[in-house]
Amino acid sequence: MIISGVHSIRMQKNPCCVKLSVQPSRGLVDEKFSILVQNTPPGFQVTVHALHHSEDGHDWEAFAHYTANNTGTVNVSEDPSLGGTYSGVEQMGLLWSLRPVPGNKPWLRMRKMNVQTPMEVTISVYQGHQTEGFTDQAPLAGVVVERWYMAPGVRRVPITEEGLTATLFLPSGPGPFPALIDLWGGGGQLVESRASLLASHGIAALALDYLTPKITVETGKMVENEYFEKAYKVLEQHPQVLGSRIAMLGISFGAVMTFKFAVYSEVIKLSCAVSVSGSHVQPIDGSVKQIFDYLIKNAGNTRINEENQTIWRDLLLPIPTDPAFKVDVGRLKCPLMLVVGEDDQNFPAPESAKDIKEMMERAGNSHLLTVLSYPNAGHLIEPPYTPHVRATNFVTVGSRQKVVALWGGEMVAHSRAQEDAWRKLLVFLRENLYGTNLGATSLSHLQRKGISWDPMPNGLVRDGLHLFYRTEVNS
Amino acid sequence: MFRVHAVVISVLQNAVLRMVPCVRISKNLACCRRAVGGVRWKSSHGLAPLLTASPVRALIDEKISIKGSFLPPHCAVTLCARMHSEDGDLWESFAHFNTKADGTFHLTRDDSVGGSYLGCDPMGLFWGLQPAPGEREGLRLRKKSVETPYVVRISLMEGHVSPREDQSTELAALTTERWYMAPGVRRIEIRQNGLVGTLFLPPGRGPFPAMLDLWGIGGGLVEYRSALFASRGYASLSLAYFGHKDLPGPQNQMNVGDSYFKTAFQLLQDHHQVCANRIGIIGTSFGVYLTLQLATQTGVKPSCLICINGPVGNGFRHQEADSDGMDGRVLSSVKYWTCDDQGNVSFKIFSSPENMIPESKVKVEDVACPLMYIEGMDDLSFSSKENVDLIKETLDTVGKSHLFTHLSYPGAGHLIEPPYAPNTRMSLWRVKPNKLFVQWGGHHAQHAAAQADSWKKILDFMEKHLR
Repeated sequence: MIISGVHSIRMQKNPCCVKLSVQPSRGLVDEKFSILVQNTPPGFQVTVHALHHSEDGHDWEAFAHYTANNTGTVNVSEDPSLGGTYSGVEQMGLLWSLRPVPGNKPWLRMRKMNVQTPMEVTISVYQGHQTEGFTDQAPLAGVVVERWYMAPGVRRVPITEEGLTATLFLPSGPGPFPALIDLWGGGGQLVESRASLLASHGIAALALDYLTPKITVETGKMVENEYFEKAYKVLEQHPQVLGSRIAMLGISFGAVMTFKFAVYSEVIKLSCAVSVSGSHVQPIDGSVKQIFDYLIKNAGNTRINEENQTIWRDLLLPIPTDPAFKVDVGRLKCPLMLVVGEDDQNFPAPESAKDIKEMMERAGNSHLLTVLSYPNAGHLIEPPYTPHVRATNFVTVGSRQKVVALWGGEMVAHSRAQEDAWRKLLVFLRENLYGTNLGATSLSHLQRKGISWDPMPNGLVRDGLHLFYRTEVNS
Repeated sequence: MFRVHAVVISVLQNAVLRMVPCVRISKNLACCRRAVGGVRWKSSHGLAPLLTASPVRALIDEKISIKGSFLPPHCAVTLCARMHSEDGDLWESFAHFNTKADGTFHLTRDDSVGGSYLGCDPMGLFWGLQPAPGEREGLRLRKKSVETPYVVRISLMEGHVSPREDQSTELAALTTERWYMAPGVRRIEIRQNGLVGTLFLPPGRGPFPAMLDLWGIGGGLVEYRSALFASRGYASLSLAYFGHKDLPGPQNQMNVGDSYFKTAFQLLQDHHQVCANRIGIIGTSFGVYLTLQLATQTGVKPSCLICINGPVGNGFRHQEADSDGMDGRVLSSVKYWTCDDQGNVSFKIFSSPENMIPESKVKVEDVACPLMYIEGMDDLSFSSKENVDLIKETLDTVGKSHLFTHLSYPGAGHLIEPPYAPNTRMSLWRVKPNKLFVQWGGHHAQHAAAQADSWKKILDFMEKHLR
């Protein structure tokens, strides 16, 4: 007590000595930053705080308690947080543990719809270990950090031909580029946050609105499967796209569609496919509407928990045995990556992954399959370093019903899963879209090439589903 | 590390020379020879090389790590950087690499084997930028608007080529932004109390330690160093004192005296977001004289002084004391520079202590705070060595050598500025009535190393004495 008093007197005499630096100050959303606090007295207690005012007008904050070492330094990448919205050594914890400031409406979700401007976060250092009242006091130091979805030189091109509602993001450079179609989930809208990041990593990415496109809004009719094929053709014929190198990435309902086109489409020829929190369970000849109808038919399986949150994972369970209701992944000819949160409360992604693996093993094409399965991760596995939300307000297209959807996931495990999955997803996409071989690419093959990615830390690794188990096909 | 004969520019005027580097490396490089008709590398080999950099938006003094991947192994490639200055001039640089067995190259790990720099230096493409052939002579790269970044395009080309080669061999490219201002830094124009300047404040409430930033005889209002200081947590005031339209009197002479600089220092002291007892002064070139004068003659008490390549006095007349009792100093029509037959301007005579009017020499013995002097040993325009020797000697004599830090850099010229920006060895001084140039000196690689090292030491010095 006395020690901290002495320190606080010293701080008052010399209020400008504490130095806070965050590097880089302008980063991409998926880029790590380093936070350094310097020039405090040895053993000084500080709270490092992050504040973000979201696009839809809410304040989100995170904070962590540190004790400076005997050189008066706190290095967030190396030192443990002793408490706050995260604990332990977490370089990016101030971003993924952001939560709405008390007083806000509940069940908020942070989404950046305008990707042309950065997310701004104010990082500050306060004296002592504090848990509230940050805005009422003067911090010892503060910096502003920008987190960008688009790298400089990335071009954003709205696509409206062929009745599409889409945005194409082209990487910097002469092109042509390998490309990808990016499909989001049941909430609809044109979500650009992932496509813009992928273009920042060299992949031309087309964010496609297939649930609430202009044509559906105007006619009231949902799109047919030809809509997706048109999107593929527009991409394939684009002068800045390598038509022979197109992938598809879908999350949630978008992944459901991805399975269908990866296997059955005569038009869409994919170099690889990725399903995040998805399922192959669906009427295989069905259009978007018919798949929704199938889900609605099973709506009786909806569960509501004690907090009045809606659990939809059982709508696709049990995994059917009837082949008319699950995509025949045994016929798949391109590499497939599944990203699965084992605590997914919205889709039966783990059960689907297990069934997919079995189907592919029986068919003899399981060498194409990579499964990333994360214990305690939920449904919304998105690009890293954005806040985990376990349940949020949600309105499904179709029902127009407002619920609090339970997505699942425990914050720390989910955030680590997002970081790991994104890194591996980029490696997978790059190997299949930029690499020399035109067949399957095992990621263990990548390890031998010395391309680095870190395996999951111990404790979060499980055998079987979690590991890459494909063997190398082409030498 | 850098070689003294640093700049090896591959002269690639004909196809035979272009082929040589490839052949020397390996006979099996059919993939690297340009196909007739410039067939794109990608389509003929099913490859799409990838170029990545991090961070793509950086402060000027931050390093950027650039990598290439998905290339053939042991293959010759060229990285070329291009940007346009605010005046529209094209600046460019290039470096030759050979990919490793895994088809990658990393600028933080691999050597440039030719081009604008040699050896391993991740920032060589940035400090190695030079005006493209055909641009105007005597250009100097200086950012006027610090609120926007320099946009530098980095291209990956096949083979060991120069930037003048046909654009169609470009395999990949990326865009980087280089900023002088961090997010949240505030830029405030100062036109009060007779002052002409720009104040940069770090984000947050403060209070902040501060710097007064004085430049040289080129005049005008130079903001970029102050913007960087604010990006590093210091309030910083760039002050114009000569050659600015908002200053009183004719622009070809200096019409302000000691009281002007004292007022600037006091503005910082009185600012509610500045720690009044933690203010330093940095002066470059003629700004060194002003820094020392302010620190010893006007009663202000700076916490530290940083001097770069400048004089302790001046070699021209001064007028009588002005109305508040402080001496005024006037850069009158008496020439303060000399010029040789080739039209090269120098300030060596004017800045040499032996030519200074004794009354104009600063009383260095009265310096009462830590002082750092940064000397470029290849300074061709100012007599920096004689001045730093005099300062050292004076401080030694009065037992103040513990206050003095001297950094001297072989091969560095006069214009020692924030790092990773090109050095100008010679620039245009004036156009009429005849074209004159100043030789600033500095050999590119050594000057770049000096800028990087001195900037770090400047920031450490400020940390130590202002926090």
